[in-house]
Amino acid sequence: MLPSIVRAATRYVSPSTVSRGIASSTPVLSSHLFVHRDTDYNNPDVPFEFSPDNMKRIEAILAQFPDGHKRAGVIPILDLAQRQHGWLPISAMHKVAEVLDMPRMRVYEVATFYTMFNRQPTGKYHVQVCTTTPCMLCGAEAVRERLKEKLGIDKGQTTKDGMFTLSEVECLGACVNAPMIQVNDDFYEDLSLKDVDDIIDNLRAGKRPTPGPRNGRTCSEPIAGLTSLTEEPKGPGFGLQAGL
Amino acid sequence: MSLIQKTLNLFRAIKQNGGILSSLKTLYVTDDLKWGTHVGTDKYGNKYYENNYYFLSRNRWVIYNPDFHLDYDGSQIPPEWHMWMHYTTDKPPTVKPPVNYKWMVPHQENKSGSSEMYYPYSTTRTKIESWQPAHLRTADTEEQNPKLFNIPQNNRIGVQ
Amino acid sequence: MFHPGGVHGARHIAQSLHHVKNAIRGTCSSKLLMQQKAAAAVAVESKKGTVTPPPTGPAPTAPAAPNSVEVYIDDKMVMVEPGTTVLQAAALAGVEIPRFCYHDRLSIAGNCRMCLVEVEKSVKPVASCAMPVMKGMRVKTNSPMTRKAREGVMEFLLMNHPLDCPICDQGGECDLQDQSMMFGSDRSRFTDIKFDGKRAVEDKNIGPLIKTIMNRCIHCTRCIRFGSEVAGVDDLGTTGRGNEMQVGTYVEKLFASELSGNVIDLCPVGALTSKPYAFTYRPWELRKHESVDVMDGLGSAILVNSRGGEIIRILPRVHEGINEEWISDKTRFVYDGLKRQRLTQPMLKNSQGLLEPVDWEDALSGIAARINRVPGQEMAALVGGLCDVEALTALKDLMNRLGCETLCTEESFPMNAAGTDLRSNYLLNTKITGVEEADLVLLIGTNIRFEAPVLNARIRKAYLHNNLRIASIGERVDLRYETDFLGDSVHVLAQLADGDHKYSEILSKAKKPMIIVGSSSLQHGDGTAVLANAIVLADSLRSKMSSNGDESDWKVLNVLHRHANQVGALDLGYKAGPSAIKQMQPKVLFMMGADDGVVQRRDLAGDAFVIYQGHHGDKGAEMADAVLPGAAYTEKYATYVNTEGRAQRGNVAVTPPGMAREDWKILRALSEFVRGSSVLPYDSLDEVRKRLAEIAPHLTRYGQVEDANYFRQSKDLVWNAARPGHSGQTLPAQQRELEDFYMTNTISRASRTMAKCVTAARHQKSTRYGL
Repeated sequence: MLPSIVRAATRYVSPSTVSRGIASSTPVLSSHLFVHRDTDYNNPDVPFEFSPDNMKRIEAILAQFPDGHKRAGVIPILDLAQRQHGWLPISAMHKVAEVLDMPRMRVYEVATFYTMFNRQPTGKYHVQVCTTTPCMLCGAEAVRERLKEKLGIDKGQTTKDGMFTLSEVECLGACVNAPMIQVNDDFYEDLSLKDVDDIIDNLRAGKRPTPGPRNGRTCSEPIAGLTSLTEEPKGPGFGLQAGL
Repeated sequence: MSLIQKTLNLFRAIKQNGGILSSLKTLYVTDDLKWGTHVGTDKYGNKYYENNYYFLSRNRWVIYNPDFHLDYDGSQIPPEWHMWMHYTTDKPPTVKPPVNYKWMVPHQENKSGSSEMYYPYSTTRTKIESWQPAHLRTADTEEQNPKLFNIPQNNRIGVQ
Repeated sequence: MFHPGGVHGARHIAQSLHHVKNAIRGTCSSKLLMQQKAAAAVAVESKKGTVTPPPTGPAPTAPAAPNSVEVYIDDKMVMVEPGTTVLQAAALAGVEIPRFCYHDRLSIAGNCRMCLVEVEKSVKPVASCAMPVMKGMRVKTNSPMTRKAREGVMEFLLMNHPLDCPICDQGGECDLQDQSMMFGSDRSRFTDIKFDGKRAVEDKNIGPLIKTIMNRCIHCTRCIRFGSEVAGVDDLGTTGRGNEMQVGTYVEKLFASELSGNVIDLCPVGALTSKPYAFTYRPWELRKHESVDVMDGLGSAILVNSRGGEIIRILPRVHEGINEEWISDKTRFVYDGLKRQRLTQPMLKNSQGLLEPVDWEDALSGIAARINRVPGQEMAALVGGLCDVEALTALKDLMNRLGCETLCTEESFPMNAAGTDLRSNYLLNTKITGVEEADLVLLIGTNIRFEAPVLNARIRKAYLHNNLRIASIGERVDLRYETDFLGDSVHVLAQLADGDHKYSEILSKAKKPMIIVGSSSLQHGDGTAVLANAIVLADSLRSKMSSNGDESDWKVLNVLHRHANQVGALDLGYKAGPSAIKQMQPKVLFMMGADDGVVQRRDLAGDAFVIYQGHHGDKGAEMADAVLPGAAYTEKYATYVNTEGRAQRGNVAVTPPGMAREDWKILRALSEFVRGSSVLPYDSLDEVRKRLAEIAPHLTRYGQVEDANYFRQSKDLVWNAARPGHSGQTLPAQQRELEDFYMTNTISRASRTMAKCVTAARHQKSTRYGL
């Protein structure tokens, strides 16, 4: 009896004030432009040449593809260009088109389709916070807010010293270690807010924090020890009909 | 109204128009013979009269400057007198002189039917632009060359 | 979306599809092509020994090919070749399936989903444009599932398509409009307009011809595929992804193609419309006149749209033998040149030597007075490339009656050996469709991309689908496909003719080689050598073919003319080139449409009287003593003979402006005034054509190509005349770059649109992105 009264009372005390329509959520649009505008830092005259090392890598990449299908290498080579330059200026795309002997437009298409090609200047450390459902449930929003606070920038922005760019991204495939951030090629997983501070401080100090989970796990195993498969594995022939 | 009154009016009218001969001339020019108070004269020499003996709309009239002879026209009345003539006001410009703003253009009679009449013209291009031999080309570019448009040479906007 | 395989991938896919398309096109295209294909098939098959009847007509009535499969479209059986798509099979059954992205002449994209149909035993509706038929397939094109799928697709398309039909230039000829009426739902569930509204996309500036309103784009990618497959200009593409994907150039850039206007026709919605035509008329307000194009030597089939005595736009007509359904930008957008610099009244020089407008009667009697003073031997006539056959006949008859035999064309042709006496010497003998059968094309001294854009598109098509190999001699130009560049002078050609060039072996191995000699190279000092060597080379290739047992009458030698009716003039017996005029220094020169300035005042007698008859004031009218205003190609019933030797009729779309008249009528009227018994014996167009049939009967067999032969004799004449020497200079390309393409004749020189194109092309060249 009593619980039901309490329940009814709470219903009156905290009525649902938000009436949410079924289709009223705003689609989140990318902050990127899908047309190019010449700027003083991004135009076809900005010099871009592959380094000799990268030219060797390009040869190795192209060796994988049969004759006449050279342009299949456009994604790895664009990635190479981005790694060399930090981001992907239009002159780099032109260089890739030249290397692969393909029309520039076809390179633009690829570079704009994949969100991991950064067509705007990016900081030395590209901090990407995953905020897709599992991470969000595990506190990714708090991580994001801490990063904003710590770096003094909003998502999509770069710090004035050119060190950090903060972006919010969709699932990076580390849901089992949520929440997580990716800094350049490294995953930092199972984060607490203190871990976030540590990582940023270390990066600021020029050190590379150890990637991986931060709560003592080495991988994605359960934190409190195994809950199944605890006994010795059975030998071959286990469970088979005796007749076999 | 008695016959006497009518005869009296006739004599008054003849008297005001300056005798029988000149009254006949007025009758010829205006098809009417009236007498009334001379309210005033405009800058073109048109004389304005009023006589409330005649019924409304006939009680104010103009005798145009005799120089116009038969070529008189309603548009020769300047706007200030036009107001009085059309009963927009009862105060003729002799009583209440018009205000002269500097944006006002001088009054001009309607030139329709005369050589100075207004021709409407199109500012669109002609469908076909003709080639002109070198000596007939007046300007280097078509934009400067009104021959390519239908604009009459003597009648452009802003030309009086 | 994008496949890293890109166009090379497309080339392979397209190859297999081309095979399919050929099978289909054989049934639905013009009879002519069918006959050709049939002839070709028989020729090939007879070698093999087995004869397969070519595909004709709807399948149920036609004899079934042995490997064809039966498909049921709405329970109606059709027999089709394996590999045919469901959509094409349905077309054979007479059922049209709605589509946006699918286009006959482009590769299959399958991204609009409008062509979804139900196939029995398939759980989901299938995209019929991309689905090959299978044996016994039962397709339902009007089932509830199909209808619902279409309605759904249409609803999604309309969700992001602005409802601006009232201000859209595509209105009335819009696929989306029509298909939403036919196949869409009568109501929409789209209510989100208050929150996000519809997708908004920035408009692109891709040049002075194409207006883009990218909000209307439905991402069918037809324009992109056209650019990369037909035009060979990969300027358009998709950027971004998902809801934000957009079609465009990414960077601000001109769509630098000479065929760019065709994307206007291809666009199923109003995203790409014509800039010069913008906001003028609705399509149903226009009168349509079938006609022939005169901007190049191909004589593309066009549809002239007019209203109120004014040409509003020009569209292509389908002609499988010539232009398929493409036309060049010059053909499409030149029409504003027909409204400027026109000769609208007769003119005569007055006593001060200045041209003055006069009446027709005064003009004709004034001209006749001068003509009557001069004997026929001291008169000459010079004609340009835009003159129609009727006018050429009338001019020739008139001048001959006056005793004048010197009638020349502006365009030269080597006159040694057979010269223009043998018709085979100056025709595109293998015909335009021959490109599709050929396996090697040798281009000599021509930038075919700009001299005959539509033919170049066909070569490119064969390059993509048939593995056509292309070699070129002459100045190096960008043809938008790979060519084997052999050299830039006639020297290489001479080596090839003698068989001692390293490419000779490849040439001789070719099963169906084509040699295309550009007429621009024949204007060059080495022109004589070019033609002579090409004739010799062609003959040796022919003899190799026949020694290999090839009995098809494959003519190797082709001449590509740049002017609309050069072939017509040569067929009528005009002398090619003005050299005869320059030698004789005539006292009276009658110029008809001669505006290239090849004859100057200094080439004539001191007091020579120059009569110019034509439609535009240009170099000809500038030097004339008397000007007779004629009619342009859209203003007269006229016959033109294209570079293949195909006589085609143009029709009147608008009346000639002012006092201008049809050309043959002017000459007929002039003949009344001149001396003696010179009155021309025809009073109507029919009578002119009757006369035409007397002197050159093939010129009245409209639409037909009159074959030419005598190749062997021609070659013997070349041998007898001893092959001419050559200077070995570079054979220059007259139209080198895109900017040279737009203004090539008196009409295009008067066109503002073309001037804008030149400016845009030059500007694009100077930008950081280049052409």
